[in-house]
Amino acid sequence: MAFVDYYQILGIQKTASEKDIKAAYRKLARKYHPDVNPNDQEAQKKFQELNEANEVLSDPEKRKKYDQYGKDWEHGEEYEKARKARASSPNYGGGYSSGGGDNFSDFFESMFGGNSGFGGGGRSGRQTKFRGQDYQAEVHLTLTEAYETHKQTLNVNGKNIRITVPAGIENGQNIKIPGHGGPGSNGGPNGDLFITFSVANDERFKRLKNDLYLTADLDLYTAVLGGELIIETLSGKVKLPVKAETQNGNIVRLKGKGFPVYKQEGQFGDLYVTFNIKIPTDLTEKQKELFTELSKS
Amino acid sequence: METDQLISIDIFCNHYNVEYSFVQSLREVGLIDTVVVQEIQYIYLPQLQKLERMIRLHDDLDVNLEGIEVVQHLLKRVESMQDEIISLKNRLRLYESND
Repeated sequence: MAFVDYYQILGIQKTASEKDIKAAYRKLARKYHPDVNPNDQEAQKKFQELNEANEVLSDPEKRKKYDQYGKDWEHGEEYEKARKARASSPNYGGGYSSGGGDNFSDFFESMFGGNSGFGGGGRSGRQTKFRGQDYQAEVHLTLTEAYETHKQTLNVNGKNIRITVPAGIENGQNIKIPGHGGPGSNGGPNGDLFITFSVANDERFKRLKNDLYLTADLDLYTAVLGGELIIETLSGKVKLPVKAETQNGNIVRLKGKGFPVYKQEGQFGDLYVTFNIKIPTDLTEKQKELFTELSKS
Repeated sequence: METDQLISIDIFCNHYNVEYSFVQSLREVGLIDTVVVQEIQYIYLPQLQKLERMIRLHDDLDVNLEGIEVVQHLLKRVESMQDEIISLKNRLRLYESND
C-alpha cells in the first residue's frame, strides 16, 4: 500500500484553497471523465484517482486528517481511530471503475475506509439516481468457435454469467450485456457488462470480415490437365473442380463458404482459395524423360 | 402503439431527478428524439444510456448544452474511428500473418 499524494494528483500546492481544489478537480475531470474517454481504461483509472483525491481534499475534516497523518500512514494507531470513526459514515457506491470492485485505493481505505463514499464524479446537492459502473471483460475465441453460435459461461467478479456468442463475431468486437455491471447508486439501475471478443488467427484460414482466404496445394498434373480438389472448409468438405492449365497463384471463389454474417442467419461470406501448385519430386528416369520430351514439344 | 420501449419524460425526470426543461432543451437541439402518445411525451428506451451520459456531462462537468452537442458529435466520431481501427487492425493481421 503506497502513499498517495492527493495534491500531486490534482496538480496543486499544499496551500491550495478550496476554490483552487475545486477548479483543479473540474479541469482534470473534464479531461479524464469516462464519458468523454470511451473504452479508455487508463482514463477511467485516472478519473478514479481524481475522485479520490477530490473526496479527501474538498472535505476540510478529511483534508486535515490527511495533512496530519498522510505521509505517516503506517502509524497504525491513528488509522485505527480513523477506521472506527468512519464505521458510522453514510454509504453509497457508484463511480466508474473498470473491471468492478472497489472505487478507492488501499491507501484511501486505510485512512477513511472504502465505504465513506463518493459518487457520480463529485456532484453535490441533488441525489440523482444513476446506473452503476460498467464492467469490461475479454473473451478469447478460436476461429472455429467464432464460426458457430454457442453459449459460454463467464465469471465476472465472482458471478457466473451465461452468454450466447453469435456466429460471425469479429475480432475486437464489443457486445453489451445490460444490467450485469456494478450496482446503481441511489437506487439507480445496474451498469452494463461490455465484452470484447478476441478471435485468434487460424493456421489455415485467414479472415477478412466475412470472407475467408485459404491456400490449397494442387499437384502439377491436376493443374495442367484439370480435375477435382477436395477442400476442407469450416462447414465440411467441398469438391472443387479445377480447370485445365490452372496457374500457380490462381484464385477461385467459393460463394457462401466463408464466415457467417453476424446476426444474419443463413448468410455467409465467400471462401477464396489460392492454388499453390506443387512440383513433383523424386521423379523416376522415365518421368524425367517424359518431361524432357514435353519441354521440346 | 406499444409503449414498452418508451419512458415518459415525467417519469424519467422524476426518477433521475432532472429538470423537465433540460430534457426539453436536449430535444429542441435534436440531441434526443421524443414521441407523443395520447398527449404524453415519451423518450425511446434505447436512448436512455445516451441521455444519462448527457446528464452526467451537464451535472458532473458543468458542460452546457452547446458543449454537450460538441461532445456528442466528437464521441460519435471517436466511436466510428475506433471501429475503423479494429477493422484496419484485422486487415493488417491478415497480411502480417501471411509473412
